Amino acid sequence: MMKADKRFAVFMVLPALAVMLIMTVYPMASTIYYSFTDFRLLRRNISFTGLKNYASLLSNEYFLASVWNTVKFSLLAVTFEVVLGFLTALYVNSLKSLRLQKVLRTVILLPYLLPTVTAALSWRMMLSPNYGIVNQFLAPMGLPVHNWFRDIHTAFAMLVVIDVWQNMPFVFLMVYAALQSIPQEQYKAARIDGAGTIAQVWYITLPNLRTALMLCTLLRTIDTFRIFDKVNLLTGGGPAGSTTTITQYIYNSGIKSLKFGMGSACAIIMTGLVLVLSALYVRDIMNQRSI
Amino acid sequence: MRKFVLSMLVVLLLVSSACAEVTSLTLALRAGTYSEVIKRCLPAFEAEHGVKAEVLELAEDDLHSKLALDAANSEGAYDLCMVDGSWMAEFSSNGVLADLGALGVELDDDIIPAATKISYYGGKLYLVPYYGNVTVLLYNKALVNGKPLNSLDDLLSVCRAAKESGKKGFIYRGDTENNLVVDFMPVLLSFGAWVLDGNNKPSVNTPEFREAVKFYLELIATGDAEAKDDLIATIDSGAGTMGVGWPGWYLPSESSNADYCAITGRVSNDGTAHNANVYGVWTIGIPANSTHKALAAELLKYLINPAVQKSTVEFGGVPCRYSSLTDPEVLAKFPQYKVVCAALEGGVYRPVIEEWTEFYTILGTELGNIFNGVKTVDKGLEDAQTALEQLMN
Repeated sequence: MMKADKRFAVFMVLPALAVMLIMTVYPMASTIYYSFTDFRLLRRNISFTGLKNYASLLSNEYFLASVWNTVKFSLLAVTFEVVLGFLTALYVNSLKSLRLQKVLRTVILLPYLLPTVTAALSWRMMLSPNYGIVNQFLAPMGLPVHNWFRDIHTAFAMLVVIDVWQNMPFVFLMVYAALQSIPQEQYKAARIDGAGTIAQVWYITLPNLRTALMLCTLLRTIDTFRIFDKVNLLTGGGPAGSTTTITQYIYNSGIKSLKFGMGSACAIIMTGLVLVLSALYVRDIMNQRSI
Repeated sequence: MRKFVLSMLVVLLLVSSACAEVTSLTLALRAGTYSEVIKRCLPAFEAEHGVKAEVLELAEDDLHSKLALDAANSEGAYDLCMVDGSWMAEFSSNGVLADLGALGVELDDDIIPAATKISYYGGKLYLVPYYGNVTVLLYNKALVNGKPLNSLDDLLSVCRAAKESGKKGFIYRGDTENNLVVDFMPVLLSFGAWVLDGNNKPSVNTPEFREAVKFYLELIATGDAEAKDDLIATIDSGAGTMGVGWPGWYLPSESSNADYCAITGRVSNDGTAHNANVYGVWTIGIPANSTHKALAAELLKYLINPAVQKSTVEFGGVPCRYSSLTDPEVLAKFPQYKVVCAALEGGVYRPVIEEWTEFYTILGTELGNIFNGVKTVDKGLEDAQTALEQLMN
């Protein structure tokens, strides 16, 4: 009977395993293999080049700059998204009127529902130096019309702002859901003990939300590390490489020039970085669960 | 009832087999006016040949990578494709394109000869020039106000005057490496410099190249870096004075705010005139792995027919044909085609080298650094030269 159960379990897992092998393991293995070759799409011959691609990337100032831009972008965007998402959730959750809570929930979620391309194009129009609504507001106030995406001092910040605007609602949603599950008795007891609002947030809300916040941070870090469409559509990595992230670098130096060997090496380095960062969060989440 | 069901099934089978007989051609085209003019010509061909043409409209980079990816398949997904002249070396040396001569396609004398320079490889015809895109100087009529634009010095003085009056002077595309390089090329050519020397070696750290960059820095200091749509809007609205444009972007008329003229290729009014108009000609080819080569060749012959090409002018088409560009009727309605014809006759193709994509990425990156003040002219060009030499070795 036990054997039959085991066979059934294996049988049930097989389809998922097959999909995993085809969709994840095979592409991953191919990418690792190609990263050690000089594979160019149109050329028939592929030669094994060992660590040449990796060595060339790690000594390339523009690749290293793209890694730094990605890390900087991730840190800034995730920090703002988590902090703002948390504060917004706290505020909405504290509202007495349930109807107002529902309305705000819907309004706050709207940017998250938009496809990234639509959001990016809308921002491009809004920030256009010609017909953009942002500059239309600035001009009557006597402020200069600014070219937000072509100025080396503002382009990166604009990308962070847009990403925060679009993805803060995700954090809001997760935290808001977690807030609902905090037992109200804890707050009642704290109030009886004379705890103020800040103390309640610090000693009750935050410890209860720790798993949710860690999960949000993990998911957002992975997502921001892979950012491509916004960068490609809005700045193309410019001006002067100030917004080139790893994915944009892969696109410019690997995909566009059909150098898939080099592109694969970039992708493997990026995956390694994401894994290292994720491992820290995952370990923390696992530790918490085992407590 | 059974008879009815059976007869219905037979009818359905007949209809579906009839439908299956309709051949479908897939066209991979550059999105924009370039594909629009072809789309307008298709219904007549479809009706005449009983075929269905499906058009895939793609951005430049997407088109390039999709054609390259599809080339690896034994049976290709595309039957006809638009190809940028700068991809020719990469595509033809790797067998991406079919020999058009073997399919009965020929180039006639009506096509502007300079535009056919990249059509042949190893004596075989692979590409037919279709859309005569060539750099022109797009300017706002009111801001230029009839002042001469005969040399780069003239351009600089008009742009400086505009800046002093609170307007933007020269607008350039600062969004991608390719655009940075292409918008700079007419100035570079006017200084008698080029990105490669006679032996196809990088030549971006020469005195002429440096002079061109220094001049360009003065020129762009009067204006701004913008994306294509913003560049056109800025010049059309009168917020900016001029920039390098393409005929496919703007259809000037007597009442339009902007117009375009050929770039003369002179630095000063008494200087030597160089060919300074850079080709962005969109050519048409047939992928070597197309499953309907003969029919695709018929479509290609139809599309480059002089009368068919002339009919596209009405919708923004820019044929590379004398019969269209010098036609009195056409010129009466679109006088700017005289400018386009002159620019096409003296146009310069971007280097036809396999490494062109990497080449412009490296050069564009360093030019971007220089234009944004991240590197000095000397340092930027020195770094570009080193990286390009490594690439070409």
